[in-house]
Amino acid sequence: MKLNSEIILETKSLAKFVTLEGKQLDLLHGVDLAVTAGQTIAIVGSSGSGKTTLLSILAGLDLPSSGEVYLKNNPMHQLNEEQRSQVRADHVGFIFQQFLLINSLTALENVMLPAELANNNEAKELALALLEKVGLSERVNHFPSQLSGGEQQRVAIARAFITEPDILFADEPTGNLDKKTSTHIADLLFDLNKQFGTTLVLVTHDLTLAQRCQRQVEMHDGKLIDSQSSPQEESIQTEQIA
Amino acid sequence: MNIFTANWSIQALRLLRHELRRGELTIVVLAIMLGVASVFSLAGFSGKIKQALINESTSFIAADRVLQTSRPLALPNQASQEELLTLTAIDKKSQQLEIKQAQQVLMSSMVFAGDNMQLVEIQSVSSGYPLRGELLVSFDDNLNTTDIVHAPALGTVFVEEKLLSLLEVQLGDILDIGEASFVIKGIATQIPDASFSVFTSGVKVLVNIDDINATQLIKPGSRLTYKYLFAGEDKNIESLDAWLKPQVNDSQRWYDIQSKQSPLANALNNAEKYLSLASLLGIILAAVAVAVASRRYAEKHQSSVAVYKAMGATSSHIKKLYYLHWTLLSLFSISLGLMFGYILAQIGLYAIQDYLPVNASVKAAGTSLLATLLTPLGFHPLFMAILTGIICSLAFAITPLRQLVATSPLAVIRSANLGGAGKSVSSKAFYFLPPFIALFSLLVLFSKDITLSFTLLIGGMIVSAILLVFGRLLMKLSRSVGTKSGAAWHLALANLQRRAHANSVQLVSFTIAIKLLLMIIVIKSALLSEWQAQLPAQAPNMFLVNIAQDQVEDVEQFIEQQNLVASDVYAVVRGRLTAVNEDKIAKQVSKEQSDGSDNGRKGVGRELNLTWRSQLPNENIIEQGAWWSDDKAQVSIEQSIAERLNIQLGDNLTFQLGSEEFTVPVTSIRKVNWQSMQPNFYMIFSPQVLADFPASYISSLHVPLNKKKTMQVFLSTYPTISVIDVDAMISQLRKVIDQVSKAVEFILVLVVFAGCLVLIAQVQASMEEREREIAILRTIGAKGSLLRNSVLLEFVALGAIAGLMASVAMELTVYLLQSYLFEMQTSFHFEFWLLGIFAGAGFVGLVGLLSCWRLLSMSSVTLIRRTM
Repeated sequence: MKLNSEIILETKSLAKFVTLEGKQLDLLHGVDLAVTAGQTIAIVGSSGSGKTTLLSILAGLDLPSSGEVYLKNNPMHQLNEEQRSQVRADHVGFIFQQFLLINSLTALENVMLPAELANNNEAKELALALLEKVGLSERVNHFPSQLSGGEQQRVAIARAFITEPDILFADEPTGNLDKKTSTHIADLLFDLNKQFGTTLVLVTHDLTLAQRCQRQVEMHDGKLIDSQSSPQEESIQTEQIA
Repeated sequence: MNIFTANWSIQALRLLRHELRRGELTIVVLAIMLGVASVFSLAGFSGKIKQALINESTSFIAADRVLQTSRPLALPNQASQEELLTLTAIDKKSQQLEIKQAQQVLMSSMVFAGDNMQLVEIQSVSSGYPLRGELLVSFDDNLNTTDIVHAPALGTVFVEEKLLSLLEVQLGDILDIGEASFVIKGIATQIPDASFSVFTSGVKVLVNIDDINATQLIKPGSRLTYKYLFAGEDKNIESLDAWLKPQVNDSQRWYDIQSKQSPLANALNNAEKYLSLASLLGIILAAVAVAVASRRYAEKHQSSVAVYKAMGATSSHIKKLYYLHWTLLSLFSISLGLMFGYILAQIGLYAIQDYLPVNASVKAAGTSLLATLLTPLGFHPLFMAILTGIICSLAFAITPLRQLVATSPLAVIRSANLGGAGKSVSSKAFYFLPPFIALFSLLVLFSKDITLSFTLLIGGMIVSAILLVFGRLLMKLSRSVGTKSGAAWHLALANLQRRAHANSVQLVSFTIAIKLLLMIIVIKSALLSEWQAQLPAQAPNMFLVNIAQDQVEDVEQFIEQQNLVASDVYAVVRGRLTAVNEDKIAKQVSKEQSDGSDNGRKGVGRELNLTWRSQLPNENIIEQGAWWSDDKAQVSIEQSIAERLNIQLGDNLTFQLGSEEFTVPVTSIRKVNWQSMQPNFYMIFSPQVLADFPASYISSLHVPLNKKKTMQVFLSTYPTISVIDVDAMISQLRKVIDQVSKAVEFILVLVVFAGCLVLIAQVQASMEEREREIAILRTIGAKGSLLRNSVLLEFVALGAIAGLMASVAMELTVYLLQSYLFEMQTSFHFEFWLLGIFAGAGFVGLVGLLSCWRLLSMSSVTLIRRTM
């Protein structure tokens, strides 16, 4: 089926299960979701509800047990690791709860990394500009261990935006930060998102942060049980597309 | 895009630069570097020492190889079917292999000077003699200066000093030998291959071989010994050896310094074995270090690979990046290792330069000791070191690296170990296979001994498996003990048990390191004490030969008066063994039964020195039968000659003494320590058999320097007693043994150094996990002293367990090595068990505590930030 051109990310009857000691454990079950370009969407839910599993499949880090995932029209469920890597390189950015900066690279080099992988010759200039935007122009040559948690996450945000990805996945981006820093990081994230017009898929159980997204969906026991949308998003309900 | 501008190569270089600078790769670099350095220095150093020792000791035979025969080698047209070797063929082969040759003809003869005459040993030598060692000759009567020379010029001779007084002549006088006359040109003060045998040493006269025909001493039936000497580069000599050895017949002997029955040969053989064993252990230690470090490298980089992949890096990008990163890292470490190893070997050589034999002829050729030391260690050690580096860094890293590049990007979400390789049995086999194949090839390459390598490796594997099980058991046991002890012990032993898997790997490598170290120390001390026992301070330095029956009592009295240490006085009768069970001897030894290069062949077909005793002499052990307790006529025979002549217990041997023949049964077969400096005999008879034959007597004794004068005075009243002073030879022997001991000790230090680095690498490898734990414990309020004590005690317990297991394993291995490799007496070494346990506990505890010290003194906040 040809997808609506506005839809950047879509899943159909997505399921993920693992077998543990002979028993099948359902991590995700019948998940249907569609995200349009430029939309910001928060996936909320309690611990163990399956949000992170969903995120990893949406981003092509993992494969579903059944069902379909399309990212920028790419059938991710049919692609191998290499092809999915390519899709990620071309379209995806990440921000993680644990920041996941490479410890032996400087802030600047960490930010440059995705641009280099995309063979962008201006990686350094872009990275410097972004680091300035996140307020770290003085610390470009510092290593992650020399930066505070908030600063590390700002580097991670800069790294996420350097390739101007079509879609940005953020996994509990403020989960490891204090309240004040969290607010600051969230501001930065949404500002940049707006500026670049990036689609944002954010996994969190921080409801305040979730509220800042245009749309919130809730995971419960591996199912997407509820979906709340801001008025302007209502035309693109998941059910309609399915 | 070329390799230098490709993203992956830029990224690899960048990673490498930062990681090296930040010390994150120190352990890997150290491990590979250590491997390369220890192989390079051990191979280079032991190679140099071996070379130096062999150079020194070959002077004892004046060549690298000697072909000895009672008949001159035939020219091709004269050769009988028995004679495979012809002079022409040997000349051709030697020329082809660029091997130097020299010849000698030895005989006993009377020499005359005016009215005086004397029986001497004539050693006629060709112009190249000696090929190894130095012939030192003094050209003035007072022996003020000596020169290094070769054969005497035509018409001249060199004589031993003693002959001058015996014949009452001086340098420049005329000496008649057979039909020719010679000018006495010089006094030989050192003849490199002067015989060590008690029975053949007479005063020596050196003649040019081209003069020998003029003397007309060589006649049909003359008793002559021909020696063909060969010297050249090792590999060429080995080629000659391989070519010539199979062609040697019964009447010929082919030998090198190590096949001579001498204390020196034994010391050299065992030293050489020890040096290669030590080097092999060095390689194994280094390999263990690389294995530990490469695993840690892979684990450390896993999260980075996951991040790269999440960012969209393809597998091929990751592969290229990390393979390049590892390759550059390996090259860097190998280069450092070569530098470090070279310096180490040079320091070692410098440290023992006083003990290293420096050949005076080398000096004469214009090279100084310094120059000798500065010469490169040679191609072989370099090649071996680089190969070790490459093989270690490839074989030990290939599986961890493959797992690393296969890390799933999902690892960014779940921090669990998501390495691509499965945990199936086959993949485990694959994990262990490359390192083992690599290690085995390295050992074989290094030792050229498949059996030894196989034994070391398979033995090591079995020991490791046993250790693994045993170690876990001990840890479990200590855990239950721990619950009953103080908080620090409790925490330490609980930690030990909880990390049982990681710890058992650590335990195995600690144990292997300690075991190898103990082993090398134990064998070293066993070797040294064996060598020292061989040459005790009061080893006989003088032989008295030709003591007449009526002089025996006087000699014995003198020995007692002067408190000298002496062997018993042995009667000597010369006789021939003519038949075994009425079969003539000559028929018994066929070509097939002999490999031709055997030692002591002279025992057959020539007169033997026979003796009789009522007591079994020292250093003789009865292997079969029993020493006599009755008065019957019987003989005890030495083991090797019994084997060679296929003589069994109960065989009847017929001897001819002068015109008389008699037959006696063999009632015992003896093992004789030929290396003891005392008169030794192939045949010892019961007292009744020979009592009626006229005998002369010999004895060996130790005469201290301060009693030499008294000895000379005493002997001057008995001019017929011949004296053989072997002091010079003994001191040369002792010097060589000292050198070997020093070399062995230095190698030991190198191996211990390698072992310590393995321990440090292993402790470092567990640092990250400990960091996390210490952070957590700190956060929940554990006191610094509790943490320090628990870390210290955990390592102490680990070290002690490793030390105990290492001691058991060492005892087993040493037993095998002593009995099979070194052919030494075996013994137990409980004192080294204590050393193993205490040193293990102390060293591992100390290294552990020092490595954790920085962590232990960090604030909780810093720790938590570091471990995030």
